Amino acid sequence: METLLIDDDSIGVFLTERLLKREGFAENLASFASAQQALEFLQNAPLHELPQVIFLDLNMPVMDGWDFLTALKPQEEALLGRCYIFILTSSLAHSDAERIHEFPLVAGLIRKPLDGEQIQNVRAQLEAALNSK
Amino acid sequence: MNDIFQLKESEQRYRALFENNPDLVLFQNREGVIRDANPAYLAVLQRPKDEVVGHHFNEFLPPSLHALFAQKLREAFEGHKVYFDAEVHFVGTSNALRVAVTKVPLVVEGTIAGVYAVLRDVTEVYQSHLVIREQAHKLNTIFESITDAFFVLDHNWRFAYINGEVERLLNVNREHLLGQYLQDVFPADENEIFHQHFRRALDTNQAVHFEAFFRRRALWLDIKAFPSEEGLSVYFSNVTDKVKSQEELYRQNQDLQQFTYIVSHNLRAPLANAIGLVDLLNSLDRDSADYQPTLNNLRTSTQQLDNVLRDMNTILSIRDKQDVDEPEHVPLADVVEQARRNLAEPIAQCGGEVVMDLPAGLSVLGNRAYLYSIFFNLLSNSIKYRSEERRLRVTVSATAQPGAGVRVLFADNGSGFDVDKAGPDVFRLYKRFHTSQPGRGMGLYLVKTHVETMGGRIEVSSTVNAGTCFTLHLR
Repeated sequence: METLLIDDDSIGVFLTERLLKREGFAENLASFASAQQALEFLQNAPLHELPQVIFLDLNMPVMDGWDFLTALKPQEEALLGRCYIFILTSSLAHSDAERIHEFPLVAGLIRKPLDGEQIQNVRAQLEAALNSK
Repeated sequence: MNDIFQLKESEQRYRALFENNPDLVLFQNREGVIRDANPAYLAVLQRPKDEVVGHHFNEFLPPSLHALFAQKLREAFEGHKVYFDAEVHFVGTSNALRVAVTKVPLVVEGTIAGVYAVLRDVTEVYQSHLVIREQAHKLNTIFESITDAFFVLDHNWRFAYINGEVERLLNVNREHLLGQYLQDVFPADENEIFHQHFRRALDTNQAVHFEAFFRRRALWLDIKAFPSEEGLSVYFSNVTDKVKSQEELYRQNQDLQQFTYIVSHNLRAPLANAIGLVDLLNSLDRDSADYQPTLNNLRTSTQQLDNVLRDMNTILSIRDKQDVDEPEHVPLADVVEQARRNLAEPIAQCGGEVVMDLPAGLSVLGNRAYLYSIFFNLLSNSIKYRSEERRLRVTVSATAQPGAGVRVLFADNGSGFDVDKAGPDVFRLYKRFHTSQPGRGMGLYLVKTHVETMGGRIEVSSTVNAGTCFTLHLR
């Protein structure tokens, strides 16, 4: 699956990449350390180059995860059904879980650390979504 | 014949007045001997007329009053009408009387034949005056002794009464204020809330109670106003300290909530990584290429965890020490130079320079370690976030503000940041504004905490790609 990681924490990126690989989740995996760069990429990428899954960290400097989702609103329609965003955060705040409903592109929220079971769940959820189309 | 008749009639009229006068009337000669006395006077003395007329007035007066009455009699014989008050206890009577005395000379063919003395008994009037005066004095004492400030506005909104606490709290003089209109002394446009409430109290005839900020004296006042027949009675007290401590409590609560949130956030991030890395390590072969990097990352994560705990300890120890350390005069140039010297190596490496424009001998009131930390952190940031397009130049300048401490400007020509976007977050713990450089978001939080702990303020202005300037107001 075409997968994109957005996380400013290099250890977080290292870990997520290795775990996804271990679970055989992603063949094509790219990462951005800043949400701004990721946004630029998504705004300019042709449709066939769009990732199917994005793992998005929340707590990042300059543009955080929520800013990123807000900035992506104009593209929402084009991305819906093609691109599934999973928030991947170390935060335990309940307010985060409520806020994801404001963003239809967000398919789920995962609390770090990511583990094998969570990755399999994401895969199942995505396959179901793709098959139902 | 007609003249005689008229004279007779006049004498009779006079006799009637004399005999029936409720005031004590007597007629004295130059020596003070009583030549005539009316029944009212005889009644007071409780003596028949022959025991009074032909006797000296002094016989009925207590000795202490002899001189006074003799003096007044002399004045009357000099042709003046004399008025005076006296308290007289006539000899042989049971009560002292308060009398208003009028002595009128009787002029017959150009010479003074004698003096009429009219003694009006004003005992009751005098006593009720005394009571009124006493009560007014008591009331005044009460209004002066209550700790509340108190004033009365009449129905025309003029100051009718003002107590000493009003003078003290509002820094006014009651002599100037009495009779003045509220509007003239405290105009509605700058004291709107007070006028509104007072008007409501008078319109509805209901007491009002409110808290408001009195701008002219920078005081928070707690005010109660009661409408009455006189107008409006207003009591107030200074609650600035209470309001300030409530605000402080609220602020500290906010801080605490923010602190808890941030710490849990930042404590959890390296912890979550560590848990994940342990999981990963478990599934890796010791010889695989990922094994060593995973182990290294695990070590880094645990170190990060330790850093957050150390940060917490640093912050808590500043807060603990807040009330303990006595402030001292610290020469500004010393601490800035100390920070510059300790960062000399990274400054030299990037070819930067630090220009100090600090008046010799200028010192600030505070804590040396905090001041050092402030300049060390600011300078570290300037080095870290310098622009790659030009050589780093930091200027530190300061001016003493008479009566307002010392203002320090700390400016660099670095990469800057978007102030509108960052807003008040710049100084927040673990908030970061650069993606290109590593950082924990601790430096400016510490700077602000240190500045505020020493009773100062810090402001920042910045322009992306031009530089950042911090303004510190120190004591």
